[in-house]
Amino acid sequence: MKINLLALTSILGMAGAIAGAITTQKLRKWLSSLFGIATCVSGLVAAIEVLHSNHPMIFQSNKILVLSGYSLQLDRFGALFVASGAVVGIASMIFRLGYSGHGLASRTASFVLPLFVMTLLLVPAATNVTTFLFLWEIMAIASLLLVLVDHRKRPEVSNAGQWYGVMTHLGAASILIGFVLLAIYAKSQSFASMEATAHHLPSWVRTSSFFLLLIGFGSKAGLVPLHVWLPKAHPEAPGPVSALMSAAMVNLGLYGVVRVGLGILGGGPTWWWLTVMALGALSAMFGSLHSATSTDLKRLLAYSTTDNIGLMFLGVGAAGLFQSTGHQSLALIALVAALLHMAFHALFKGSLFLSASSLQQATGSRDLDSLGGLLSKMPVTGTIFLIGSLSIAALPPLCGFVSEWLLLQSMLHGLPSSNPSLAIAMPVGVGVLALTGGLTALTFVKAVGIGILGQARSKPANDAHEVRPTMWVGAGLLSAMCFLFGVAPFLVIPSVINSSKELIGTNVANPLVGGWQVGLLGNQGAIEPGLLAFLIVVFVAIIGGLRKLIQAPSVRRAEAWGCGRETQTSRMEYTATSFGEPVVRVFEDVLSPSHNLDASQLSESRYYVEAAHFHTSLDDAFERRLYRQAAAGLRWWGSNARRLPNGSIHRYLMFGMVALVVVLVALG
Amino acid sequence: MMFLSIERITGIFKDFRPKSISVPFPSEVTPGVQEASRRNRGSLQLRHLDAGSCNGCEMEIASMTSPIYDVERFGIKLEASPRHCDGLLVTGPVTRNMSGPLLKTYEAVPQPRVVVALGDCALDCGVFKGAYGVEGTLGDILPVDLEIPGCPPEPASIITALRGLVGR
Ligand code: SF4
Repeated sequence: MKINLLALTSILGMAGAIAGAITTQKLRKWLSSLFGIATCVSGLVAAIEVLHSNHPMIFQSNKILVLSGYSLQLDRFGALFVASGAVVGIASMIFRLGYSGHGLASRTASFVLPLFVMTLLLVPAATNVTTFLFLWEIMAIASLLLVLVDHRKRPEVSNAGQWYGVMTHLGAASILIGFVLLAIYAKSQSFASMEATAHHLPSWVRTSSFFLLLIGFGSKAGLVPLHVWLPKAHPEAPGPVSALMSAAMVNLGLYGVVRVGLGILGGGPTWWWLTVMALGALSAMFGSLHSATSTDLKRLLAYSTTDNIGLMFLGVGAAGLFQSTGHQSLALIALVAALLHMAFHALFKGSLFLSASSLQQATGSRDLDSLGGLLSKMPVTGTIFLIGSLSIAALPPLCGFVSEWLLLQSMLHGLPSSNPSLAIAMPVGVGVLALTGGLTALTFVKAVGIGILGQARSKPANDAHEVRPTMWVGAGLLSAMCFLFGVAPFLVIPSVINSSKELIGTNVANPLVGGWQVGLLGNQGAIEPGLLAFLIVVFVAIIGGLRKLIQAPSVRRAEAWGCGRETQTSRMEYTATSFGEPVVRVFEDVLSPSHNLDASQLSESRYYVEAAHFHTSLDDAFERRLYRQAAAGLRWWGSNARRLPNGSIHRYLMFGMVALVVVLVALG
Repeated sequence: MMFLSIERITGIFKDFRPKSISVPFPSEVTPGVQEASRRNRGSLQLRHLDAGSCNGCEMEIASMTSPIYDVERFGIKLEASPRHCDGLLVTGPVTRNMSGPLLKTYEAVPQPRVVVALGDCALDCGVFKGAYGVEGTLGDILPVDLEIPGCPPEPASIITALRGLVGR
C-alpha cells in the first residue's frame, strides 16, 4: 500500500509535538527535533514527487475538521513552497540539536516546534478555507509561542510578542473576511469552486477581497507598511525559529497573494498589480535602507528579509501586470524569477540566521559593535556566514545572483512596451532593484567587515570558540545548496517553471534557455553560472600561483597605521554605526534618526563641559508615525468611551433599548 | 567694448604672477643617495614627522611647496600616510615623547625606505642639545640617509638636497 505523504507529514508533526510534550528534558529536545526532521523529509519527498509528476497529491479526512473536512491537495505551485520550507526546516532542526541558548529546550517549545514546522509545510496544500485558516492559525500561534519562550529573561521579547500577536491576528482577520466574501459568492468554501466562480463576480467583490487578502498575507510577509512586527519578532526569536520565520514563514505570505491573485481570482486589472509592485518597491527600499543602518545583526537580517520580500512582490506584481496586459510569456518569466528568488532567499537567509545565531551563542551578543574577529576564531561558522552574505549580495557563483539576474531580465524585457503602465512601472522596478542591490552590498560588507573580520571588539568575542558540529552542519547544509544551485541552477529552474505554469497557464511557451545557461531565448544576455564559477576558480588559481612566483621572499608585517599612537585598541576600529552613518545622512528624511546630546557643565564655569553623552537611535518611521499614533488614537477613544457606562442602571437599560430599536430598524 | 575684455584686465596682472625660481641639482651626492635615486626613479613621496622641532623647519617645508619653490615639479610630494611613502622627512631633535611615534612611523613605511634629517636639530640637536626632554639625535635612533644642515635650512637648499634623492 502506498502511504499518503501528506497524511504522513501531518502525523509525524503531531507525533513530534506529543513526544516533545511528554518525554523527559533530555529526550524531548532530540525527539521533537528528529520528528521535525522526519516531518520535513516527508514533506520534501511529497513536494518533489508532485513537482515531477502532473498530478496533485490529495488527502482528505472528515474526522479532523468535522464540518468542513480536512482537505489537502498539493499542486506544483504549492509544492515549491513546501520544498523550500522543508529544506529550511531540516537545516533548522539539525541546528537545534546543538543549540543551547534561549528557552528552546522547554516543554512548551518542544511541543510547539514540530507543529510549527508541520503547518509551514501543510499551509500551501490546504484547499478549503477552514483547513487553510486552521493551519494558518496554528502556524501563527505556534510561532508566537516560540518567539516568546524567553520572555521571562528579557522584557524586549514580550514587547516583540505583543506586536507580532496583534499584527498576525489583524492579518488573519483580514484574510478571513477576504475568503468569506469569495466563499459567499461561490456558495462553497473550497478554493476550486471559488476559482470557478471568480470570473463572474462583481468587480467590487473581486477588488475588495483581493485587497483584504493582500493586507492579510502582506502582514505575514512583512510587506511595508505592515512589517513593523518583523524586525522586532524575528531577532528576538531563538535561532532556529528565527531562521524558520524569516526563511520559510514569510514566503507563505507571498504564497497567499499569488495563489489568490493569479490563481483563485485568475489575474486582475492593471492597477492591482501596480499597487503590488509599488508595495514591493517600497518594502525593498525601506528594508534595505534599514538593514544598511542597523547595528544589531539579527535586526539587520530581519530588515533584509523585508527587502527581499519586497523584491519578490516586485516580481509577482510584474507578472500580474504582464498577464493583465497580455504578455503571457513575460509574466511567466517574472513569476519564475520571483519564485526562484523566494526559494533561494530561503536558502541564504536560513544560513545567515542560523550562523548569526551561532555567533550570538558563542559571544552572547548580537550587537555588531561587540563582535569582530570571529572568522579566525570560528572558521566554519564564519565561512558559512560569509557565503550567505555573498549570496544575498547577489555575487556569482552563488544562488542569489541567478535569481536577481532573472528578475532584472524579466523587467528589462518589459521596457520596450507601448503600454504606458508597463513603460512606467518597469524602469522604476529596475531602478529599485539596482538601488537595493547596492544597499544590500553595503549592508553585508558591514555585517562581514565589522562582525567577523577585524579585531575582537569585546572580551566574549575574543574568547569565542567554534560551535558544536550539529549547528554548523545545519547552517552549512543551506550554504552548500546556495553554492550548488548558484553553479547549476538548471537543477531547480525547470521545477520552478512547472510550478509557475500552474498559475499562468500550462500552454504558455517556455521562454527560458535550458541547460547550464540562464537567460531568455533569442536574447544575447544569457549567462552561464557554471562557466562563471569555473572562471572564478581559474582566476583565483592564477592569482595565487602568480603571487607564489612573484612575491618577494619575505613579507614584513607591521602594525596597522594609527598615526603613531602608543596603544591602539579595538575601540578605535570602524564601528557598524559609523559605517552606516553616510547612508543615514543621505536618507535622513526617510529614516528620521533621533539624536540626543546631554552635556553637563562644570560648576566653576559653564564654558567647560564636564561630561557629554550622545545617544542616537533609528526606530522605524512607520512605527512611530503610523502605529504609535493609531494606538494613541485608539486609547483616547477607549478612555472617552469609558465615560458612557457610569454605573447607572437606567442608562444601561436605555442603551439596550436604543440598540434594539436600531437593530429592528436596520432589519425592517 | 573690446578694450574692456576680461583677458585685457587679467593680462595686466599676468606679468606679476610669481615664477618658480630655479633650484640647482646638488653638486655631489653620497653613494647611498645615488642608490636611492636609482630606486625612486623620479618620484619621491615623503612623510614629514616633527620629532620636537621649534617649527622653524616646518615653515621652510611649507614654503617649499609654494608656487615660488614648487617642489612638486621635481616629483617630490609630502604624503599623509607613511604606508604610501618612500621615506621619512624628520625635523627637530628626537624628544622623549616623540621617539615612540617616530619608531612606529618608521615601521609603517614600506621597505626600502630613506630617512632624511632636516635642520641642525635633527643632525645634532642644535640649540636644544642637552635639554631635559631630548632623547638624542635622529642618527642615534634611525639610520639617516640624507642630512640637510641649516637652522632652518632655506627651501632652495632643502629642494637641492632632495633632488639628489629623486635624481631629477
Ligand atoms: S633646526 Fe633650527 S629651525 Fe629647525 S627645528 Fe631646530 S632650531 Fe628650529
